[in-house]
Amino acid sequence: MKSGLTLVVLFSLLIGQIAQAAQLVVYSGRKDKFIKPVVAEFTKETGIKVLLHSGSSTALLNKLKLEGNKSTADLYISNDAGNLEKGKELNLFSTVPTELVNGIPQSLRASDNSWVGLSARARVLVVNTEDKSVDFVKSVFDLSDPRLKNKLAITHSGNGSYIAGVTVYMESAGKKKTADWLAGMKSNVGGKVFNKHSKIVKAVAKGKRSVGLVNHYYIYRHLKKHPKAPIKIVLPDQGKNDIGVAWNVAGVALVKGSKNAEAAKQFIAFVTSEKGQSLFANVNREYPAREGIAAAAEVPAAGSYKVAPVAMQVLGQKRNATLDLIESVGMP
Amino acid sequence: MTSTAVFREKIKTRAPSLRGFLALLVVLIAAVPLLFVLFSSGQLSLQQWTSLWSNRLPELLFNTLSLAVLVAIGSMILGVSAAWWITRRDFPGRGIAIWLMVLPLTIPTYVFAHIYTILLEEDGWLGQLWMVLFPATPIPEIFNIFGVTLVLVLAGFSYVFLLVRDALSRSQQDIEEAARIHGATPLQVFWRVNIPMLRPAIAAGIALVVLHVLSDFGAVSMLRYQTFTLSIYLQMSSRFDYQAAAGLSLVLVCLSLTFMVLERFFRNRQRYYGSGQSKKITAKKATRFEVIAIWFWLGLISTFAFILPIMWMIGWSWQAWQQELIDAEFWGYVSNSLTVSALAATLTVIAALPVALYHARERSAVSQGFLYLSNIGFVLPGPVIALGILSFVIATMPAIYGGLSVLALAMMVRFLPLSIQAQESAVQQLTPSIEQASRSLGANWYENLRRVILPILKGGMATAWILVFIDTLKELPATLLLRPTGFDTLPVRIWIEASEEMLELAAPSSLMLVVGTLPVLWFLMREKSDKSS
Repeated sequence: MKSGLTLVVLFSLLIGQIAQAAQLVVYSGRKDKFIKPVVAEFTKETGIKVLLHSGSSTALLNKLKLEGNKSTADLYISNDAGNLEKGKELNLFSTVPTELVNGIPQSLRASDNSWVGLSARARVLVVNTEDKSVDFVKSVFDLSDPRLKNKLAITHSGNGSYIAGVTVYMESAGKKKTADWLAGMKSNVGGKVFNKHSKIVKAVAKGKRSVGLVNHYYIYRHLKKHPKAPIKIVLPDQGKNDIGVAWNVAGVALVKGSKNAEAAKQFIAFVTSEKGQSLFANVNREYPAREGIAAAAEVPAAGSYKVAPVAMQVLGQKRNATLDLIESVGMP
Repeated sequence: MTSTAVFREKIKTRAPSLRGFLALLVVLIAAVPLLFVLFSSGQLSLQQWTSLWSNRLPELLFNTLSLAVLVAIGSMILGVSAAWWITRRDFPGRGIAIWLMVLPLTIPTYVFAHIYTILLEEDGWLGQLWMVLFPATPIPEIFNIFGVTLVLVLAGFSYVFLLVRDALSRSQQDIEEAARIHGATPLQVFWRVNIPMLRPAIAAGIALVVLHVLSDFGAVSMLRYQTFTLSIYLQMSSRFDYQAAAGLSLVLVCLSLTFMVLERFFRNRQRYYGSGQSKKITAKKATRFEVIAIWFWLGLISTFAFILPIMWMIGWSWQAWQQELIDAEFWGYVSNSLTVSALAATLTVIAALPVALYHARERSAVSQGFLYLSNIGFVLPGPVIALGILSFVIATMPAIYGGLSVLALAMMVRFLPLSIQAQESAVQQLTPSIEQASRSLGANWYENLRRVILPILKGGMATAWILVFIDTLKELPATLLLRPTGFDTLPVRIWIEASEEMLELAAPSSLMLVVGTLPVLWFLMREKSDKSS
């Protein structure tokens, strides 16, 4: 009797999918604490339940590709335009109607609307205000200057934001210059790269390093906790002939073969709406992709500085080339 | 021909029908990832192979092999020294000492890596201590081969300890006494009698540790040390280059196989037989100085291998508790983990049975081949096994994709060798004559299974179940790829929280892993001491 019961339980577990009444499955590469409030608000407004499947953006894209039309995912959210464009290349996404997303500027979504940017981050410099010897740093390319020996903090080269940044510099300044730049940075980091952006900001704030290359919001996150920290943001490459600041977007895509396409489109409509936009971007002090929605007050206003004119699609198309370049220099 | 031989003949001709078929089925499933690797790497062009060979392989070979050597040496030093003191000296707290040497097995490598990354930061416990002790020297960096070695030694030396302790408590005193009578100093006895006799156990322990190093995913990816496994994972996940990943996997498989063959070869040449009457070792009472020395050394080991990590976990879990972060969702992760581990352990134990039984009965080239093939889980890295199973399931039985069964299947492939090994000795006790006796007394196959076969195999099955349960509870890479949608387990949460820097949340999950493993570890240790007494 007992074993019979066990068998039934086992069997239902084996076959039992975690099936619940119609709900939207979102593969999310965004941090849980940033996506959960957005999802909660969406469910409150529409009554549609959402099942979050979190992981790293690249690993989830892999999963989507391997699963093909067996995927239960309806939406894919990534923190990196590189992944979104790669997914488009792999034909994993459905296009969405333009009228659904025309609040988002064309430069921040795929050419065929197969993915839509939701929030943007800027690659900037964090500088220790007490070390005057690094005042000369005005461009990311100054980071390879020998004067910064042992004063530079960067992430390891597996970091998606870092890779995307290098892609932008490679597209703007050419392979040769970028390779030399990477080699110069390699000798400036003093044998240590950081595994987290927040640790870079911390190291600069404590004076262990003088300059770091990070996404803009990490600086404000640190300043929120330690308002007196001796750090400032420097927007690099703002001269007339300079390339401008590298941007990257987080975005969403409708997965091809989604069985809840209508609900998924409702989700896209919500996150691109004014309310959804300010919620999605501002939990992390990013720039809302939709024009006319203000970013957090402490962040330099979008449009007040020069941004590198590299289309977001390129971040996906050129990613392997960037990885090759980074590997050829042997960056840690 | 004796009567047993006749029975053996009969069984040989009849039994393969079912046992052989089931064994074949299991082995075929276990071979799926290997077939996937062979198939995908077969699509690499010659040019791609040469480019892999010249660009990636030298560095990966060097990184992987040097790590394996360092970890082997480290685990040997810790494992053998601890086992030696504990079996040869009687000192206060010996029972606790045994436990302290085994408890690190409850902590997965990625948790060690995560914890030591944090402890060695400037505001971490060890970082602060370091700056007080050596203000002039920067805190040692953990993102290099030495950091990875530290983590893998702490996580793995217990295997060497267990095996060597087992061998030492079974070793016989008369050989040592003979050597002493002939004038050997204690040190000479150690090097020329004990060490050679321990060689099989040390070799087996090191083999286990090295195979874990070769297939480790968690620690090397957290510490970004490029071994084969990490590089294979990166080829797959950041470049979508499954063929290159398969090519690298193939090289890794060859490496592991060479290693296994070598290990078997050296072990087979080292066999010692003692007579049944010889005296068992008795532990000598430790002098006061020895007690201090022993506890200093064992205390040092367990401080780093267990006490510091567990204090960190408890400390941050307390913070999480106070912030009311331990909610229903968290208990959901715990229950998910237990469910999938119990399921996978059950499946793996059952699957291992026909393979072990078939080999015990047949002892043929075919059954030996089956045994070799079932070892694939040991030599292929977790991400590749997951990838192979996923592709196979989607291509052949898409209906079950997305359920727990796919994950359980991958776990089965990963941990089948463990389960077979644990059941092997029990299976060998099941001689054909016992079975024949019950059959000739009129038992049908079901009765035979229930009243004869299962009672004999029960102990081995329980041990196998426990070992697989522990390993599945900690398993990371296959779970990451194959878990059902939204089905987060403790390892998955640790992985996610660790990458989000949510210390408060990675800690309770790690603590629950330790707590979840404790009862089964206790069971295992109790069984061991039953056997040795």
